[in-house]
Amino acid sequence: MKEVVILRQSLKDKLIKLYDFSAMLMAILKNFTTTFKNRKDLLQEMYEIGSQAFPLIFFGGLFSGIILAIETGHNLEKFGATLLISRTVSLGMVRELGPVITGILMAARTGAKNTSELGSMQLSEQVEALEAFGVSPVEKLVVPRVFAGLIMFLPLTFIADMTGLIGGMFITTSTFHIDLVYFWNSAIGVLEFKDIFVGSIKPLFFGFFISSISCYYGLITTGGTKNLGKNAINSVVMSSLVVLLLDFIFTKVVWEIL
Amino acid sequence: MIQLKNIWLDYEQREILKDVSLNIENGTTSVILGPSGAGKSTILKAILALTYVKAGEVIINGKNILALNDDELLKVRRKIGIVFQGNALFDSLNVEENVSYFLRYENRLTEKEMADKTSEILSFVNLEGTQTLFPDQLSGGMKKRIAIARALATDPEIILFDEPTTGLDPINSKAVLDLVNKLRDTGRTSIVVTHILNDALFIGDKLTVINEGRIVASGEISEILESKDPFVKDFFYELNQHNTILKHN
Repeated sequence: MKEVVILRQSLKDKLIKLYDFSAMLMAILKNFTTTFKNRKDLLQEMYEIGSQAFPLIFFGGLFSGIILAIETGHNLEKFGATLLISRTVSLGMVRELGPVITGILMAARTGAKNTSELGSMQLSEQVEALEAFGVSPVEKLVVPRVFAGLIMFLPLTFIADMTGLIGGMFITTSTFHIDLVYFWNSAIGVLEFKDIFVGSIKPLFFGFFISSISCYYGLITTGGTKNLGKNAINSVVMSSLVVLLLDFIFTKVVWEIL
Repeated sequence: MIQLKNIWLDYEQREILKDVSLNIENGTTSVILGPSGAGKSTILKAILALTYVKAGEVIINGKNILALNDDELLKVRRKIGIVFQGNALFDSLNVEENVSYFLRYENRLTEKEMADKTSEILSFVNLEGTQTLFPDQLSGGMKKRIAIARALATDPEIILFDEPTTGLDPINSKAVLDLVNKLRDTGRTSIVVTHILNDALFIGDKLTVINEGRIVASGEISEILESKDPFVKDFFYELNQHNTILKHN
């Protein structure tokens, strides 16, 4: 019986959190027009979320492309189909690995950053100070972070796609002795509108959800540093799961519709 | 005038404020006195509607702020300044940016006007020339005075102080209390929450004693000292002893 009560309470807590998160999403949408007013915060966040993540995304994309080329290359070699490596690397990077690797890496980096920043501000009453002085924390703290995520995730994904292709090219030409010109012609030629479309739409949703989830976990931090650590973990885990879930939904929808 | 009418407030299924009613006259310094955990700081949060109030009314300048929507509430809050117990300074910003933070947000003044206003306020709190320092370069007393400066920047009609001298040495405490008295001279209404009796007597025009979420006494200092309430007698025991010794001598 005790277990049922605990389970019920846990379910109730989760539903309350979901309701609170939905309310925050509504407040974000309502406050989107304030972005220009807080453009200094937006630029700062774009720099921290985007520009500073460049090395991580660069190497993340590069190694994904290298690994993808090695794995597919060795398997295709058995069938004498190494000419297909470039197509596989290209489609794999643009449609799936580029956005997902960027999403997962950014879920960890941006998620931890946003949650720890806003969580510390919450614990030191800085968020309450904003509210007390008549400034909406959603407008001042959350919207610039979410907007920066929306803007920066797409170019970061393109960087991951490009470095992945370069990594794939390096393996394909050096290990499997495929001609460089053939590699690029095949890699670019295989891409259709729907591949580029799905590869470009995913980062927008990843950016929006990763930023808003991590801000939410920061703003609900109470107690002390232990809870802050716990919320930072929850933020990264939840953001990563949402990236995978959205990726599945987009992939399924695109194959069904387009 | 600020009126709290029959405020009931719960937090995590625990009653924090029980039927609290208060009247605070404009231009006075009211002190809310009580032991830790009595609900003093919660009263300040209720005045700003920063926390959910289960029942009752908070009336500021004739409006029940608990009935306002978010946008209207933000406007009312801009007329109120607060100095938090932990100062709540923005640690990534320097003193000038902290003090002018809400001025910048309101976007009414030019950069030059904002800089002048900041200098003027810093001079009021005796911290001229600290504009470029960051909160981690300031002492506890300086941080408190910067927090007061930030609260004053938007020219609020009402200023709330949450335990303004806790953790400060006697000299810095005196400096902060002098500032609270100096604010009264500018015609502002101050509400100060403290558990330190001497501070309350030094700055308060009117005292309100609170215990376990209930107001047990309220009035002028002389009225409080004559209270028959056992808690008030206990709380003021040391002071009464001191007065008795003085009378004997």
